Parts: sequence; C-alpha cells; structure tokens
Amino acid sequence: MRWATRRHCHIDRTACAWLIRRFIDVQAEFVFVDDVDEVPADATPFDMRGVELSHHGGDCSFETFLRRYELADPVLWELAKIVHEADLADERYDAPEAPGLDVLMRGLSMVRDDDELLALSAPLFDGLYEYRKRALLTGKEPS
Amino acid sequence: MSWVLLAYRLPREPSTPRSALWRRLRRLGAVQVLDGLAALPLDARNREQLEWLADEVVEAGGEATIWVAELGSAAQERELAAGIAEAVAADYRALIEEMVAARDQPPGQRRRTLARLRRELRRIRARDHFPPAERELAQRALDELASVVEERVA
Repeated sequence: MRWATRRHCHIDRTACAWLIRRFIDVQAEFVFVDDVDEVPADATPFDMRGVELSHHGGDCSFETFLRRYELADPVLWELAKIVHEADLADERYDAPEAPGLDVLMRGLSMVRDDDELLALSAPLFDGLYEYRKRALLTGKEPS
Repeated sequence: MSWVLLAYRLPREPSTPRSALWRRLRRLGAVQVLDGLAALPLDARNREQLEWLADEVVEAGGEATIWVAELGSAAQERELAAGIAEAVAADYRALIEEMVAARDQPPGQRRRTLARLRRELRRIRARDHFPPAERELAQRALDELASVVEERVA
C-alpha cells in the first residue's frame, strides 16, 4: 500500500511511518508531498490537515493511528505519550524523553532527506519500544 | 518578515475549547492581534502548530483560516515585535526574581525550586520569538542558583 504525508518529516510523521511498517502494513511505501492536493489517488494520506489519520481532538497523528487501527498495545501508548509531547509539548503527558527526541529528530532532518530520515529513525523507535516494553514488564526502568 | 495568522471564531459555549485554544496559543507565544486573530512569525513549525489549532477550532464547531501575511509598514512591525518581546521579557523578569529569592531557601527546598524554575525557563524559551536581553539574564540567574545548590552538596 502507498501512504502519503507532508515533506520535511518531523517526529509525528517519522513515528507514524514506523508504526505503519511495523504494525499495519509491512510493505508500506511512502510518498512525500507539499500539499494535500498532491496526494496520489492510490495513497492514504496521514498527518495532513483535513484528513482522517491526522490530529483530532488534541491527539497527534500517532495517537489517531492507535485509535483508528485499534492498536491496544500498552507499549505503543507509552510511545504515543512521548511522540505527543515531542510534537505538541502541551504537557498533556509527562514525557521527559520528549524534548531530547524532538531535538534529535529536528537535527537529523536538517542533514538527511525524508527517506533517509525514516530509515534512520526506525531503529530508534524499535529501541524505544523495546525499552518501554521492558519497563512495563518489569515495573522499573531497564538498566 | 512574514507572519502566519490564525483567524478564528469559536462558539461562546462550551467554553472548554476556547480556554484550551487560549492556553495553546499562549504556549506557542502567539500574539493576539484582535479578538479571534492570533499571529506568529512565519516558520514551518509555527505554521504547522497554528494549522493544527485551526483544525481543532473547526472540530469544535467553529471557523478558522490560516493566513500568511506581511505588515503594512516597518514601524508597525517593530511595534508588534517589541510588544511580543516585552511580554516575554516580563515573564523572564518574574522568573529571575524567583531565582534570586530561592538562593535563601533551605537546601532541600532550593533544589526542588531549581528543578521547577528550569522547567519554567524552558517553557518561556519555547515561546520566545524575539529574544530580549532578559533571556541571557535569566540563564545567568539560573546558573547562579544551580551553583549555590551544588556547593551545598560538595
């Protein structure tokens, strides 16, 4: 399946792309556009104004994906808190990782294009997922 | 320079979306040009954040449009930027006062105050689009408070 989002990805879009590949569509292909009008007919748009898989009711797009695809994995919701705060910083959640992740992703997006950004950030989200999973299973911060 | 504007109209009731929007605009450091018109200096991040707010206004039953604009004169622009800088400068000054006062607190309380003021300084910086001199002064006051806290530990 093809998926489309805005060019110059940041935290919410890279996290959504990772979520799509890992949990929704292993074969996912990503297209980057400047405007929602440029989304190819066969592509599903996300994190763009006025589309379903985007910000809704104060949620960032990553949270919307979890709701729409009914991904109830509690580890993903832990990640959602971090992505939400890195994207919106509205202090809805306590996510001390968020400011650091925000800066890392911003910096990376200055020196890499969107395809590379997705490729480089995926292992980071894999690691974050694993870390949060272990924390949830053991009830303490992993060493 | 260019500005990104959010023109919006929200129903009076319920008031929750209104106050949520107000809080978000304040956090972003937006200037309320008129009732229902908020402005930020144009960059990709500010534009995106205002676009999300526009969507939320619409979801809450209101109307919203995003504009990219330039002020009609350089004088007006200076005035607007100075107004924004002064509002943030006042926030920095209030924080500096707290930082200075915290030096005389008992050590345990002082450490907690330091952590809280650090977070508050980060919040102000996130909405500081025209850094006034107070930005640097606030950093210095924070560093001084931090060194007082550390001395006690050593």
